[in-house]
Amino acid sequence: MTEDDVTEDQVPDADAGADAAEEPEVAPDPPADYAQQVAEVLRGEATSDFGTVKVRIPADRWVETAETARDELGLGFFSWLSAVDWANEVEVGDPPSETVDERYEVLCQVSDTSEGRLVILSTDIGKDEPSLPSLVGVYPGANWHEREAAEMFGISFEGHPNLVQLYLPGGFEGHPLRKSFPLLTREVKPWPGTVDVEGMPSEENVEAGDAEESE
Amino acid sequence: MTQQLDQRALMHISEVAVSVELETPEMTLNIGPQHPSTHGVLRLVAHMEGERTYKVEPVIGYMHRGYEKISEVRTYPQITTLINRIDWVAGYANEVPFMVATEKLMEVEVPERAQYIRLILTEMARIASHMVFMASYPLELGAPTPLFFSLRDRERVLDLIELVTGGRFHPNFNRIGGVKPAYGAGPTTRKTIPDLPQSFLPQTKDAMSKVLKTCDELADLALGNEIFQARTKGVGVLPADLAASYGVSGPNLRASGVEFDLRKISDYLPYDHFTFDIPTGSKGDSWDRYRVRLEEIRQSAGIVTQAVDGIPSGSLQAKVPKIIKVPAGEVYVRAENPKGEMGYYIVSDGGLGPYRLKIRSASFSNLSILPWILEGVLVPDIIAILGSLDFVLGDVDR
Repeated sequence: MTEDDVTEDQVPDADAGADAAEEPEVAPDPPADYAQQVAEVLRGEATSDFGTVKVRIPADRWVETAETARDELGLGFFSWLSAVDWANEVEVGDPPSETVDERYEVLCQVSDTSEGRLVILSTDIGKDEPSLPSLVGVYPGANWHEREAAEMFGISFEGHPNLVQLYLPGGFEGHPLRKSFPLLTREVKPWPGTVDVEGMPSEENVEAGDAEESE
Repeated sequence: MTQQLDQRALMHISEVAVSVELETPEMTLNIGPQHPSTHGVLRLVAHMEGERTYKVEPVIGYMHRGYEKISEVRTYPQITTLINRIDWVAGYANEVPFMVATEKLMEVEVPERAQYIRLILTEMARIASHMVFMASYPLELGAPTPLFFSLRDRERVLDLIELVTGGRFHPNFNRIGGVKPAYGAGPTTRKTIPDLPQSFLPQTKDAMSKVLKTCDELADLALGNEIFQARTKGVGVLPADLAASYGVSGPNLRASGVEFDLRKISDYLPYDHFTFDIPTGSKGDSWDRYRVRLEEIRQSAGIVTQAVDGIPSGSLQAKVPKIIKVPAGEVYVRAENPKGEMGYYIVSDGGLGPYRLKIRSASFSNLSILPWILEGVLVPDIIAILGSLDFVLGDVDR
């Protein structure tokens, strides 16, 4: 560690490229580097919070981006496709803490089978008549995932060969995973939300005869 | 002179005389939801011409329990009680990626001893799951004997899991920040928190050596059997790039020759402290899928033995607040479950429960190749291929 005392005076700032070998190195951040590389190739905005690379692209370039991801980035493994219903008024659970734009965010996760690089492609579609071109031509595995998203959220995927219900019995009305779809059991006993959740009984409280102060 | 007809030959006269081209009608065979070989309530509508199928449509959803919707009205600790029921054969393995995802969002560091315990239990869940495969797959093909050997060893592993967690299939042993800091059920009243049961580690090593011996016995019984070979070699060949584009993962993908194991890549558990091989197949037929799983049991037993030898001391759970509130963010964590790749995508809003939980289950994607792989096969091969994919309907339907 004594070498550092010598070099510290000589290094003016952190990004001097030629002296990089002697300064304390900033740890390489593979998800962030990969996110940048992906963002350039796919022409979208990439984030890599918590190690998860997510790229946002506009809906009209959905299929084209998936093809680029498969061909140029080598991401041939199709993992899953689903959606998130961003809504400000919800029938189940808690509403979002900050106001959000109401939309469906369709997510598709692809990865590669050599190094395990992972990318989540994300796009937004509107809530009135939500539809998106199907990825079945690019990744055949999208077939069942799109069927599930279609019946759970009501998104129609154009070009899908067989968009029939997957899980729900025939004649089921409604789209269950939408935030506007209530859970019958929660109609009877509402979700308490942030109001009353008891903590686990702690050791001190349970000990008999122990004069522990309560909060 | 009259020829005396041999009595035994009379039986075969009709076969000899009639040798015309048989007209095979088209038929729709419903391999219905109640069937011993479909690993649960799976319905296959097989359109067939004679004995050969030309189109098979799987109908799923009989076990759909609405996990993702339920998770929106549950707190994070409550969700952990539910998710080990997704793939109920390897119960413990379902909990781990969810816990790791939550801990990533909360930026909690799990103590190393807890990580080792999670790893040991996950590998034992893998052995348990593959042992069910070893039992049921030859049974479906008509060989009942391996069932007794593999389930006997599965009982050993399940007894060990029960010893430490209290449950065989649904342990619910993970806590956010580590593992449950006491064995048995319910809150403890003692001031000193007990650790693992004393006999757990030695018994585990003993059980693993017995599991390795049983693997040799199973290899003899099934792999050495001529009929088993004839029924599985060349049946249900799955090319590697097609498998990847469908999302097939786990032993099915490795049997097709892709050397890809999330245990070596993802950092959800400290697998980099141990040495183990990734068994792969060459052709991607059912024979390779069986061999890959058998070899994986051996590797898992090796990992558990190494982990038991090297387990560090320390606490079992990191300090977390009593009421778990996960900060806002989105994270995806995936794990190498016995059936394949399992992942949890948590969209958190800073509340007590997730805003959206997407569960990526392995068997759903593994099953989605059925329309492709079951095209133009004979009826007995349907069962052989279905069994070799090793799926569980709870994992498919969630």
